[in-house]
Amino acid sequence: MIDAGLMLLDRQLIDADGMLAGKVDDLELTFPEGGGPPVVTAILAGPGALAGRLGGRLGHLVEVVAARLRHPEETPGRISFGLVKRIDSAVRLSAQRAELDTDRVESLVRDYVIRRIPGGDHAPE
Amino acid sequence: MKKLLEVALGILTAVGGFVDIGDLVAATATGARFGLALAWVLVLGVIGIVIYAEMAGRVATVSHRPVFDLVRERLGARVALANLFASFFVTLLTLAAEIGGVALAVELLTGINYLLWVPPAALLVWLVLWRMRFQVMENLFGLAGLTLLVVVVAVWHAHPDWSALLHGATHPAVPMGEGRPTYFYFAIALLGSAMTPYEVFFFSSGAVEEGWSTTDLIVNRMNVYLGFPLGGALALAVMVAATLFLQPRGIDPTHLSQVALPVVLVLGKVGLAFTIFAFFAATFGAALETGLSCGYTIAQYFGWQWGKYVKPAQAARFHLVMLVSVVTGALLILTTIDPIKLTEYMLVLSAAALPLTYFPILVVANDPDYMGSKVNSRISNAIGSVLLVILVVIMLAAPPLMIITKAGQ
Repeated sequence: MIDAGLMLLDRQLIDADGMLAGKVDDLELTFPEGGGPPVVTAILAGPGALAGRLGGRLGHLVEVVAARLRHPEETPGRISFGLVKRIDSAVRLSAQRAELDTDRVESLVRDYVIRRIPGGDHAPE
Repeated sequence: MKKLLEVALGILTAVGGFVDIGDLVAATATGARFGLALAWVLVLGVIGIVIYAEMAGRVATVSHRPVFDLVRERLGARVALANLFASFFVTLLTLAAEIGGVALAVELLTGINYLLWVPPAALLVWLVLWRMRFQVMENLFGLAGLTLLVVVVAVWHAHPDWSALLHGATHPAVPMGEGRPTYFYFAIALLGSAMTPYEVFFFSSGAVEEGWSTTDLIVNRMNVYLGFPLGGALALAVMVAATLFLQPRGIDPTHLSQVALPVVLVLGKVGLAFTIFAFFAATFGAALETGLSCGYTIAQYFGWQWGKYVKPAQAARFHLVMLVSVVTGALLILTTIDPIKLTEYMLVLSAAALPLTYFPILVVANDPDYMGSKVNSRISNAIGSVLLVILVVIMLAAPPLMIITKAGQ
């Protein structure tokens, strides 16, 4: 767990179907009640989570854009660490990306732009 | 047998796909102004792209991870984001220049101003990106690009004094009337044309698109070791043609028609027809590669689903980035900015941005965690490191040279 940052941060997320589902943009750490070292309880993904890690003016800019893209009450995308199936060169999840709340922007773009263009739902020929 | 055909096809498409608007402009401009005194830079550039494309292809084949995915993992979110800005900006400029090149090729054919051809060219580029399968796209435009062989035929037919050409290439000297800074400025542009960053983005992502596995490493090597040098030979032929026909006439090329002039002088109308087709195929094919690379870099940084191996609806943001990039590139050309000038600027900026792309590749290609036993050989590392030092020097030298020489004027 000491190397959680090195092991996990910036790794590719891959869902149960092998689809790419974002990056590990940040981690949620929780201190156990009985004391001791913090444990990773969730993966944070999406521009909101990335902004915090970038810091500075650049991070602020990303945060402002990200906040525009989501509902005011929503927090940055969170994936419970229990959904992590395996960690190799990527972090493999046991859920489909559509079930994750980190998939919001992708599904917005899909439903409002890409699906409305003829051929968007067909494999290339 | 099937593998053999695959290898042969791969080599042919690598040759045909090598030359783009950058190579055409840089090779013609340097040939017209310096003869073959910069031919050594082209050789150096081809060695560079061979070494690094082989690494990028091998990394993608073994780890199934394309370049920009690894850039972020290796450099961290912050530095990689700065890298993304620079790489994407240069790739977008290249896309714009290629779209301009397509439009100029059609102007040559029809005589109607290129600006009118920008919207249909951009639409056609986007349609292919939207609907055509990756392999079909790559093979079709790679093979069509082979028509550039017409330049080799033209040079051959002109019966040049080969020993004088060889002497000019092996005893490089700055011609009378050209300053040393200008010479090095064009050297940087020429190196940028051979080693443009998008080529490794495209090549490594293509390996994943085509589902390469370790048995395909031989395809990777053959494509790179044979295809790229032969593609570089086509660029060299363009330079020789400019040396033979443009330099004596004192023509400093400002339009694509001057790039075609040597072939027309030797082979007449038939030559012109082949040349226009070759220009169209080369720039259109490269517009596709740069359009895809715009999507690849951004999607791979953020971890979005990318690629033409899935439906557009399954890679929504990737397709949105490509759509916006093609439209932006077309609008940039429609501002009536000179596409040839734009290409020259783009080449120098590409050269300056090269270490950003090539350094992470060199690091990952040596990492046994990703590569297992397929890490770099000592030769690859030696050549790769020397090149990287040269590229860093270029990165530092390019901006002041651009100012001193007023962009090579």
